[in-house]
Amino acid sequence: MKTLETDIRFTHQILVEKCKNGDSSSQYELYMLYVDAMFNIGMRMLGNKEDAEDIVQESFISAFKNLGSFNYESTFGAWLKRIVINRSINYLKKKQIAVVPIDKHEFHLTDEYVEETKSVEIKKVKKGIEQLPTGYKQIINLYLIEGYDHVEIAEVLDIAASTSKSQYHRAKKKLLEIIKEL
Amino acid sequence: MDNFEKHIRENAAEFDDHKADHSKMWAKISKDLIKEEPKVIPFWRSPMLKIAATVLLLIGIAGFIGVSLRNDTNTTFASKELLDIDMHYKGLVSYQVELVKNNPNLSEEDKIDFLSFMDELDEEYEELRLEMQKNLDNQLVLEAIVSNYKKRIELIEQLLKQINDSKIQDDEYGYTL
Repeated sequence: MKTLETDIRFTHQILVEKCKNGDSSSQYELYMLYVDAMFNIGMRMLGNKEDAEDIVQESFISAFKNLGSFNYESTFGAWLKRIVINRSINYLKKKQIAVVPIDKHEFHLTDEYVEETKSVEIKKVKKGIEQLPTGYKQIINLYLIEGYDHVEIAEVLDIAASTSKSQYHRAKKKLLEIIKEL
Repeated sequence: MDNFEKHIRENAAEFDDHKADHSKMWAKISKDLIKEEPKVIPFWRSPMLKIAATVLLLIGIAGFIGVSLRNDTNTTFASKELLDIDMHYKGLVSYQVELVKNNPNLSEEDKIDFLSFMDELDEEYEELRLEMQKNLDNQLVLEAIVSNYKKRIELIEQLLKQINDSKIQDDEYGYTL
Protein backbone atom coordinates (compact mmCIF):
# COMPACT_ATOMS: atom_id res chain seq x y z
CA MET A 1 0.00 0.00 0.00
CA LYS A 2 2.84 2.32 0.92
CA THR A 3 4.57 1.54 -2.40
CA LEU A 4 1.36 2.31 -4.26
CA GLU A 5 1.05 5.66 -2.49
CA THR A 6 4.63 6.50 -3.34
CA ASP A 7 4.01 5.64 -6.98
CA ILE A 8 0.97 7.90 -7.16
CA ARG A 9 3.00 10.85 -5.92
CA PHE A 10 5.31 10.43 -8.89
CA THR A 11 2.51 10.56 -11.46
CA HIS A 12 3.71 12.46 -14.57
CA GLN A 13 7.20 12.68 -13.06
CA ILE A 14 8.94 12.71 -16.46
CA LEU A 15 6.72 15.56 -17.66
CA VAL A 16 7.18 17.47 -14.43
CA GLU A 17 10.96 17.12 -14.62
CA LYS A 18 10.99 18.37 -18.21
CA CYS A 19 8.86 21.34 -17.12
CA LYS A 20 11.38 22.08 -14.37
CA ASN A 21 13.92 22.55 -17.16
CA GLY A 22 11.55 24.99 -18.88
CA ASP A 23 10.50 22.69 -21.73
CA SER A 24 7.48 24.49 -23.18
CA SER A 25 5.91 21.52 -24.97
CA SER A 26 5.96 19.57 -21.68
CA GLN A 27 4.44 22.57 -19.92
CA TYR A 28 1.62 22.55 -22.46
CA GLU A 29 1.14 18.81 -22.06
CA LEU A 30 0.91 19.12 -18.28
CA TYR A 31 -1.41 22.10 -18.63
CA MET A 32 -3.76 20.12 -20.87
CA LEU A 33 -3.86 17.28 -18.36
CA TYR A 34 -4.96 19.50 -15.48
CA VAL A 35 -6.60 22.63 -16.87
CA ASP A 36 -10.19 21.36 -16.85
CA ALA A 37 -9.98 19.99 -13.32
CA MET A 38 -8.44 23.25 -12.10
CA PHE A 39 -10.96 25.36 -13.98
CA ASN A 40 -13.80 23.46 -12.32
CA ILE A 41 -12.28 24.07 -8.90
CA GLY A 42 -12.05 27.76 -9.79
CA MET A 43 -15.65 27.79 -10.93
CA ARG A 44 -16.82 26.18 -7.69
CA MET A 45 -14.78 28.52 -5.53
CA LEU A 46 -15.39 31.76 -7.40
CA GLY A 47 -18.68 31.18 -9.14
CA ASN A 48 -17.91 32.91 -12.44
CA LYS A 49 -15.97 32.07 -15.59
CA GLU A 50 -13.82 35.22 -15.80
CA ASP A 51 -12.49 35.01 -12.25
CA ALA A 52 -11.98 31.26 -12.55
CA GLU A 53 -9.97 31.73 -15.76
CA ASP A 54 -7.82 34.45 -14.20
CA ILE A 55 -7.08 32.44 -11.07
CA VAL A 56 -6.32 29.24 -12.97
CA GLN A 57 -4.02 31.08 -15.38
CA GLU A 58 -2.19 32.73 -12.49
CA SER A 59 -1.95 29.38 -10.72
CA PHE A 60 -0.38 27.62 -13.71
CA ILE A 61 2.11 30.48 -14.18
CA SER A 62 3.01 30.36 -10.50
CA ALA A 63 3.27 26.56 -10.58
CA PHE A 64 5.59 26.52 -13.60
CA LYS A 65 7.76 29.29 -12.15
CA ASN A 66 8.03 27.60 -8.76
CA LEU A 67 8.20 24.01 -9.95
CA GLY A 68 11.69 23.76 -8.51
CA SER A 69 10.18 23.72 -5.02
CA PHE A 70 7.87 20.81 -5.91
CA ASN A 71 9.54 17.68 -4.60
CA TYR A 72 6.84 15.01 -4.87
CA GLU A 73 5.60 15.23 -1.29
CA SER A 74 2.17 15.05 -2.92
CA THR A 75 1.03 14.47 -6.49
CA PHE A 76 1.57 17.32 -8.92
CA GLY A 77 -2.23 17.54 -9.23
CA ALA A 78 -2.71 17.94 -5.47
CA TRP A 79 0.06 20.55 -5.37
CA LEU A 80 -1.48 22.53 -8.22
CA LYS A 81 -4.96 22.19 -6.73
CA ARG A 82 -3.70 23.69 -3.49
CA ILE A 83 -2.32 26.66 -5.42
CA VAL A 84 -5.67 27.20 -7.16
CA ILE A 85 -7.59 26.92 -3.89
CA ASN A 86 -5.25 29.24 -1.98
CA ARG A 87 -5.36 31.84 -4.74
CA SER A 88 -9.15 31.60 -4.94
CA ILE A 89 -9.49 32.10 -1.19
CA ASN A 90 -7.09 35.06 -1.27
CA TYR A 91 -9.02 36.57 -4.15
CA LEU A 92 -12.32 36.22 -2.29
CA LYS A 93 -10.80 37.73 0.86
CA LYS A 94 -9.49 40.68 -1.15
CA LYS A 95 -12.94 41.24 -2.56
CA GLN A 96 -14.23 40.95 0.99
CA ILE A 97 -16.41 38.00 0.15
CA ALA A 98 -16.94 35.75 3.15
CA VAL A 99 -15.04 32.52 2.96
CA VAL A 100 -16.47 31.29 6.25
CA PRO A 101 -19.94 32.01 7.69
CA ILE A 102 -20.09 35.52 9.12
CA ASP A 103 -22.34 34.52 12.01
CA LYS A 104 -20.38 32.50 14.46
CA HIS A 105 -22.82 29.84 15.55
CA GLU A 106 -20.37 27.33 16.81
CA PHE A 107 -22.78 26.20 19.47
CA HIS A 108 -26.00 24.20 19.64
CA LEU A 109 -24.97 21.66 17.07
CA THR A 110 -27.64 19.07 16.99
CA ASP A 111 -27.82 15.79 15.18
CA GLU A 112 -31.22 16.51 13.67
CA TYR A 113 -30.17 16.41 10.07
CA VAL A 114 -32.74 16.50 7.39
CA GLU A 115 -33.31 13.05 6.02
CA GLU A 116 -29.95 11.85 4.70
CA THR A 117 -30.26 9.76 1.70
CA LYS A 118 -27.83 8.19 -0.69
CA SER A 119 -30.22 8.62 -3.55
CA VAL A 120 -29.98 12.44 -3.65
CA GLU A 121 -29.44 13.42 -7.24
CA ILE A 122 -26.11 15.05 -7.92
CA LYS A 123 -27.90 17.70 -10.00
CA LYS A 124 -29.91 18.71 -6.96
CA VAL A 125 -26.79 18.83 -4.82
CA LYS A 126 -25.16 21.14 -7.37
CA LYS A 127 -28.17 23.44 -7.32
CA GLY A 128 -28.28 23.29 -3.54
CA ILE A 129 -24.60 24.30 -3.23
CA GLU A 130 -25.18 27.22 -5.62
CA GLN A 131 -27.91 28.49 -3.34
CA LEU A 132 -25.82 28.26 -0.18
CA PRO A 133 -24.64 31.52 1.41
CA THR A 134 -21.04 32.26 0.28
CA GLY A 135 -19.50 31.45 3.65
CA TYR A 136 -21.01 27.96 3.65
CA LYS A 137 -20.25 27.24 0.02
CA GLN A 138 -16.43 27.11 0.40
CA ILE A 139 -16.40 24.74 3.34
CA ILE A 140 -18.86 22.38 1.63
CA ASN A 141 -16.86 22.44 -1.60
CA LEU A 142 -13.56 21.87 0.16
CA TYR A 143 -14.80 18.98 2.28
CA LEU A 144 -17.29 17.21 0.06
CA ILE A 145 -15.96 17.76 -3.45
CA GLU A 146 -12.26 18.60 -3.13
CA GLY A 147 -11.92 15.88 -0.50
CA TYR A 148 -9.98 17.97 2.03
CA ASP A 149 -10.08 17.00 5.68
CA HIS A 150 -10.72 19.53 8.46
CA VAL A 151 -7.01 20.03 9.17
CA GLU A 152 -6.40 20.94 5.53
CA ILE A 153 -9.47 23.18 5.42
CA ALA A 154 -8.29 24.89 8.59
CA GLU A 155 -4.96 25.66 6.89
CA VAL A 156 -6.57 26.92 3.70
CA LEU A 157 -9.18 29.09 5.41
CA ASP A 158 -6.91 30.10 8.27
CA ILE A 159 -9.29 28.90 10.96
CA ALA A 160 -9.11 26.25 13.68
CA ALA A 161 -9.81 22.66 12.70
CA SER A 162 -12.60 22.54 15.29
CA THR A 163 -14.19 25.62 13.69
CA SER A 164 -13.97 23.97 10.29
CA LYS A 165 -15.72 20.92 11.69
CA SER A 166 -18.55 22.79 13.37
CA GLN A 167 -19.15 25.13 10.45
CA TYR A 168 -19.10 22.28 8.00
CA HIS A 169 -21.87 20.57 9.96
CA ARG A 170 -23.93 23.74 9.91
CA ALA A 171 -23.32 24.15 6.19
CA LYS A 172 -24.28 20.56 5.49
CA LYS A 173 -27.47 20.93 7.49
CA LYS A 174 -28.34 24.03 5.49
CA LEU A 175 -27.54 22.26 2.22
CA LEU A 176 -29.78 19.32 3.04
CA GLU A 177 -32.60 21.70 3.90
CA ILE A 178 -32.24 23.45 0.57
CA ILE A 179 -32.10 20.14 -1.33
CA LYS A 180 -35.25 18.94 0.39
CA GLU A 181 -37.13 21.95 -0.88
CA LEU A 182 -35.94 21.60 -4.46
CA MET B 1 -18.75 9.95 7.14
CA ASP B 2 -22.43 9.44 6.48
CA ASN B 3 -24.12 8.08 3.39
CA PHE B 4 -24.75 11.52 1.93
CA GLU B 5 -21.08 12.48 2.19
CA LYS B 6 -19.95 9.16 0.76
CA HIS B 7 -22.39 9.55 -2.12
CA ILE B 8 -21.05 13.03 -2.99
CA ARG B 9 -17.39 12.08 -2.70
CA GLU B 10 -17.87 8.98 -4.81
CA ASN B 11 -19.49 11.10 -7.51
CA ALA B 12 -17.24 14.15 -7.16
CA ALA B 13 -16.22 13.85 -10.83
CA GLU B 14 -19.80 14.72 -11.82
CA PHE B 15 -19.26 18.18 -10.38
CA ASP B 16 -16.62 18.85 -13.03
CA ASP B 17 -19.07 19.93 -15.70
CA HIS B 18 -17.28 23.03 -16.98
CA LYS B 19 -14.91 23.05 -19.88
CA ALA B 20 -12.05 25.54 -19.88
CA ASP B 21 -11.17 27.64 -22.93
CA HIS B 22 -7.85 25.85 -23.40
CA SER B 23 -6.25 27.91 -26.14
CA LYS B 24 -7.28 31.29 -24.77
CA MET B 25 -5.96 30.47 -21.30
CA TRP B 26 -2.76 28.88 -22.61
CA ALA B 27 -2.04 31.93 -24.74
CA LYS B 28 -1.94 34.06 -21.60
CA ILE B 29 0.07 31.53 -19.60
CA SER B 30 2.71 30.97 -22.27
CA LYS B 31 3.00 34.70 -22.92
CA ASP B 32 3.74 35.26 -19.25
CA LEU B 33 6.20 32.38 -19.07
CA ILE B 34 8.14 33.66 -22.10
CA LYS B 35 8.07 37.24 -20.78
CA GLU B 36 9.95 36.25 -17.65
CA GLU B 37 13.60 37.12 -18.11
CA PRO B 38 16.09 34.55 -16.97
CA LYS B 39 17.68 35.35 -13.64
CA VAL B 40 21.22 36.68 -14.00
CA ILE B 41 23.48 34.66 -11.78
CA PRO B 42 27.21 35.43 -11.92
CA PHE B 43 28.86 32.71 -13.96
CA TRP B 44 31.12 31.52 -11.19
CA ARG B 45 28.35 31.53 -8.58
CA SER B 46 25.94 29.31 -10.45
CA PRO B 47 25.50 26.12 -8.39
CA MET B 48 24.68 24.23 -11.57
CA LEU B 49 27.97 25.36 -13.06
CA LYS B 50 29.84 24.15 -9.99
CA ILE B 51 28.17 20.76 -10.29
CA ALA B 52 28.83 20.66 -14.04
CA ALA B 53 32.49 21.61 -13.52
CA THR B 54 32.93 18.90 -10.89
CA VAL B 55 31.27 16.32 -13.15
CA LEU B 56 33.46 17.39 -16.10
CA LEU B 57 36.57 17.19 -13.96
CA LEU B 58 35.66 13.70 -12.76
CA ILE B 59 34.86 12.59 -16.31
CA GLY B 60 38.17 14.08 -17.45
CA ILE B 61 40.17 12.28 -14.78
CA ALA B 62 38.29 9.02 -15.34
CA GLY B 63 38.79 9.36 -19.10
CA PHE B 64 42.49 10.01 -18.69
CA ILE B 65 42.92 7.00 -16.43
CA GLY B 66 41.11 4.91 -19.03
CA VAL B 67 43.33 6.17 -21.83
CA SER B 68 46.46 5.83 -19.69
CA LEU B 69 45.74 2.23 -18.83
CA ARG B 70 45.28 1.32 -22.46
CA ASN B 71 48.61 2.75 -23.59
CA ASP B 72 52.03 1.40 -22.81
CA THR B 73 53.99 4.31 -24.18
CA ASN B 74 55.10 7.51 -22.57
CA THR B 75 51.53 8.76 -22.61
CA THR B 76 51.01 6.70 -19.46
CA PHE B 77 51.71 9.85 -17.46
CA ALA B 78 48.96 11.66 -15.67
CA SER B 79 49.57 15.02 -17.22
CA LYS B 80 51.60 16.84 -19.81
CA GLU B 81 53.70 18.21 -16.98
CA LEU B 82 54.69 14.72 -15.91
CA LEU B 83 55.36 13.73 -19.47
CA ASP B 84 57.59 16.79 -19.87
CA ILE B 85 59.54 15.93 -16.73
CA ASP B 86 60.04 12.40 -18.03
CA MET B 87 61.11 13.59 -21.48
CA HIS B 88 63.54 16.09 -19.99
CA TYR B 89 65.32 13.56 -17.79
CA LYS B 90 65.21 10.84 -20.42
CA GLY B 91 66.90 13.19 -22.89
CA LEU B 92 69.51 14.22 -20.36
CA VAL B 93 70.30 10.63 -19.37
CA SER B 94 70.52 9.30 -22.92
CA TYR B 95 72.78 12.23 -23.92
CA GLN B 96 75.15 11.49 -21.05
CA VAL B 97 75.07 7.73 -21.67
CA GLU B 98 76.13 8.51 -25.23
CA LEU B 99 78.98 10.63 -23.83
CA VAL B 100 80.14 7.68 -21.73
CA LYS B 101 79.82 5.24 -24.63
CA ASN B 102 81.86 7.46 -26.91
CA ASN B 103 84.44 8.47 -24.36
CA PRO B 104 87.87 7.34 -25.62
CA ASN B 105 89.36 7.51 -22.13
CA LEU B 106 87.23 4.64 -20.84
CA SER B 107 88.04 1.00 -21.43
CA GLU B 108 85.36 -1.25 -22.96
CA GLU B 109 85.21 -3.18 -19.70
CA ASP B 110 84.53 -0.05 -17.64
CA LYS B 111 81.88 1.04 -20.11
CA ILE B 112 80.07 -2.32 -19.89
CA ASP B 113 80.22 -2.27 -16.07
CA PHE B 114 78.91 1.21 -15.93
CA LEU B 115 76.15 0.65 -18.48
CA SER B 116 74.98 -2.54 -16.73
CA PHE B 117 74.56 -0.46 -13.60
CA MET B 118 72.55 1.96 -15.69
CA ASP B 119 70.40 -0.99 -16.88
CA GLU B 120 69.54 -1.78 -13.26
CA LEU B 121 68.37 1.77 -12.77
CA ASP B 122 66.39 1.41 -16.01
CA GLU B 123 64.60 -1.61 -14.58
CA GLU B 124 63.82 0.28 -11.39
CA TYR B 125 62.51 3.14 -13.50
CA GLU B 126 60.25 0.75 -15.46
CA GLU B 127 58.78 -0.57 -12.21
CA LEU B 128 58.14 2.95 -11.00
CA ARG B 129 56.48 3.85 -14.28
CA LEU B 130 54.10 0.87 -13.93
CA GLU B 131 53.41 1.88 -10.34
CA MET B 132 52.61 5.35 -11.58
CA GLN B 133 49.86 3.91 -13.80
CA LYS B 134 48.24 2.26 -10.79
CA ASN B 135 48.73 5.16 -8.40
CA LEU B 136 48.05 8.20 -10.45
CA ASP B 137 48.12 10.62 -7.55
CA ASN B 138 51.00 9.03 -5.75
CA GLN B 139 53.45 11.83 -5.06
CA LEU B 140 55.97 9.37 -3.65
CA VAL B 141 56.11 7.39 -6.89
CA LEU B 142 56.63 10.57 -8.86
CA GLU B 143 59.40 11.63 -6.51
CA ALA B 144 60.99 8.18 -6.83
CA ILE B 145 60.95 8.47 -10.63
CA VAL B 146 62.64 11.87 -10.51
CA SER B 147 65.14 10.62 -7.94
CA ASN B 148 65.89 7.61 -10.19
CA TYR B 149 66.71 9.95 -13.04
CA LYS B 150 68.77 12.22 -10.81
CA LYS B 151 70.76 9.24 -9.53
CA ARG B 152 71.58 8.20 -13.08
CA ILE B 153 72.58 11.72 -14.09
CA GLU B 154 74.65 12.10 -10.93
CA LEU B 155 76.46 8.82 -11.58
CA ILE B 156 77.20 9.73 -15.16
CA GLU B 157 78.37 13.19 -14.14
CA GLN B 158 80.64 11.66 -11.49
CA LEU B 159 82.03 9.21 -13.99
CA LEU B 160 82.66 11.88 -16.56
CA LYS B 161 84.21 14.09 -13.87
CA GLN B 162 86.53 11.26 -12.82
CA ILE B 163 87.58 10.72 -16.42
CA ASN B 164 88.23 14.43 -16.88
CA ASP B 165 90.10 14.69 -13.56
CA SER B 166 92.37 11.81 -14.44
CA LYS B 167 92.93 13.40 -17.83
CA ILE B 168 93.85 16.72 -16.19
CA GLN B 169 96.13 14.91 -13.73
CA ASP B 170 97.79 13.14 -16.65
CA ASP B 171 98.17 16.41 -18.50
CA GLU B 172 99.57 18.19 -15.42
CA TYR B 173 101.88 15.30 -14.83
CA GLY B 174 103.08 15.78 -18.36
CA TYR B 175 103.68 19.49 -17.85
CA THR B 176 105.51 18.89 -14.56
CA LEU B 177 107.79 16.72 -16.33
